[in-house]
Amino acid sequence: MRDRLTNAMRASHVLALIFVAGALALAVIGAATGDTFYLRLGTEALIFAGLALSVDLLLGYSGALSLGQALYFGVGAYVSALTLLKVPSFWLAMLAAGGATLVASIIGGLIANRVRGVYFALITFGLAQVVSKVVYNTRELGASDGMIGIPVIDIGFGPFSVSAGNPVGFFLIVLAIIMGLYWLTAYLLDTPFGRVLTALKANEKRVPFLGYSVWRARMFSYVLAGLIAGLSGALYPMLRGFVSPELMFFATSGNAVISVILGGVGTLIGAIYGSVLLVVLKSIIGSWTEHHLIVIGLIFMICVMFLPKGLIGFIRPRLEERLSEKTPDATPLTSVSLQPGSAKP
Amino acid sequence: MSNHVLDIRDLGIAFGGLKAVDQVSFKAERNRITTVIGPNGAGKSTLFNLISGALKPRSGQILIDGVDLTGASPARTKAAGLSRSFQITNLFFELTVAENLRMAAQVLEPVGRAFLPIGRSTRALAKTAEMLERFQLGHKRDELAGNLSHGDQRRLEIAVCLASEPKILLLDEPTQGMSHSDTADTAKLVRALSRDVSVLLIEHDIGLVMDLSDHVVVMHQGRKLAEGPPAVVRADPAVQAAYFGHH
Repeated sequence: MRDRLTNAMRASHVLALIFVAGALALAVIGAATGDTFYLRLGTEALIFAGLALSVDLLLGYSGALSLGQALYFGVGAYVSALTLLKVPSFWLAMLAAGGATLVASIIGGLIANRVRGVYFALITFGLAQVVSKVVYNTRELGASDGMIGIPVIDIGFGPFSVSAGNPVGFFLIVLAIIMGLYWLTAYLLDTPFGRVLTALKANEKRVPFLGYSVWRARMFSYVLAGLIAGLSGALYPMLRGFVSPELMFFATSGNAVISVILGGVGTLIGAIYGSVLLVVLKSIIGSWTEHHLIVIGLIFMICVMFLPKGLIGFIRPRLEERLSEKTPDATPLTSVSLQPGSAKP
Repeated sequence: MSNHVLDIRDLGIAFGGLKAVDQVSFKAERNRITTVIGPNGAGKSTLFNLISGALKPRSGQILIDGVDLTGASPARTKAAGLSRSFQITNLFFELTVAENLRMAAQVLEPVGRAFLPIGRSTRALAKTAEMLERFQLGHKRDELAGNLSHGDQRRLEIAVCLASEPKILLLDEPTQGMSHSDTADTAKLVRALSRDVSVLLIEHDIGLVMDLSDHVVVMHQGRKLAEGPPAVVRADPAVQAAYFGHH
């Protein structure tokens, strides 16, 4: 049976393929022209796209607005930085960052999932503020300066190895990881578990009476979102060679929410497009004027007013139509074979 | 296996000083229709909320097939085989008819399939198709539940409750707001259901109650006033005074 979410996901996947094609084109052009700036900018956009993806998982599917998702991004970045300073191993850093954000998001989830709606948004905001202030005032973590001098690592895949200092190589690795996270999230949403999340958003009060634990579903999606944010954050110090408490500040969380709204809430791939759009806009407008935030704010307001479903939210339904035109009756429900005697009059 | 699928013992809850449900005991027989009646404010819906786990009782016991489920969560009560509908239609209005049914039928699948692609949940899909056919909602399967007529929504609500193959079905005023002919159809449906599921019903339409029920429990001001077969309850002078007197 093919239903609306499956159809929508298929359209998202087409847009994801277009995105990957565009990214690969950038990589080829970048490699040919020996560019560093745009590839590094693109890599940064992809890293923040992972954070936006985690915000969309919560906001777009289970319906929970997190205003502090940067907390897990920051935890991932700091743990990755600390690991790299001791042992310059990519895999170890990712493992450590993943483990740390897993623990952090379980703790955060136990606190935040006690409440709903606006209170959930405020609690997530508060948690991120508390932790970022602690980091800001901890000398061992570099306090307000953050930590610098994180070594450029070699990322090994069996016999091959790519340096994180190689703009094309690292761009491609980050692209693979972020698209992998996208694919994993999309896959999970297209399972019965994912449908329970959409049910939470649609009518949370009905869910327990169907036999599902609301708390468990909310907790699972929260921890998964934390993990996605943390793994994305772990890539940041490899790119920039430093981490700073700003990574956990509200501006970072807020940017992720703006990316999701620009791209389209509940589209997954929209979060990625939105994040790239935001980073590119900031960079371009930032080169014209130092008051670029005013312009970004205006663009955001115009987008919310005239494109309320976001860029992908606007494009995707049209794409869905075209896709379903190509395959008019993709296994309708009626073709599901019933066991003999299972249909009662 | 006892013939009583549901056993309510001295159930009680109070809100502030008000004893909304007070020392209520009764048993519901397997594959029979047991109806709870009573004037507004008698505590019928509170009783349903207690039985389905939406509220935790202050005293008493709830047994489903001999298993003590007093104070269990709605999800646990559901897992024990009890499905409920709501007085005010309570569906996933932004999801389609088929999606509403599949969401309910998904509990029939082994837990392991929760993380496999949704197309692999063949039992839930077959059940969805069965329910669409049985409740004549097949032609509306892709419509959003929120766009259905009131009568169709009420029918879908019963179908959703039934899609998980419960032992006990709690129906809270299933005919509320329905037209005369829809009410008659629903009565026929509920009668047919009781062939393979035990039904506990709250209903206001006295004619329907007398016609449909195997057993009637009368509530008044939180307490059980009387119980028995419809004819016996109807003849009870206390019931006449408290309930039928108002009509």
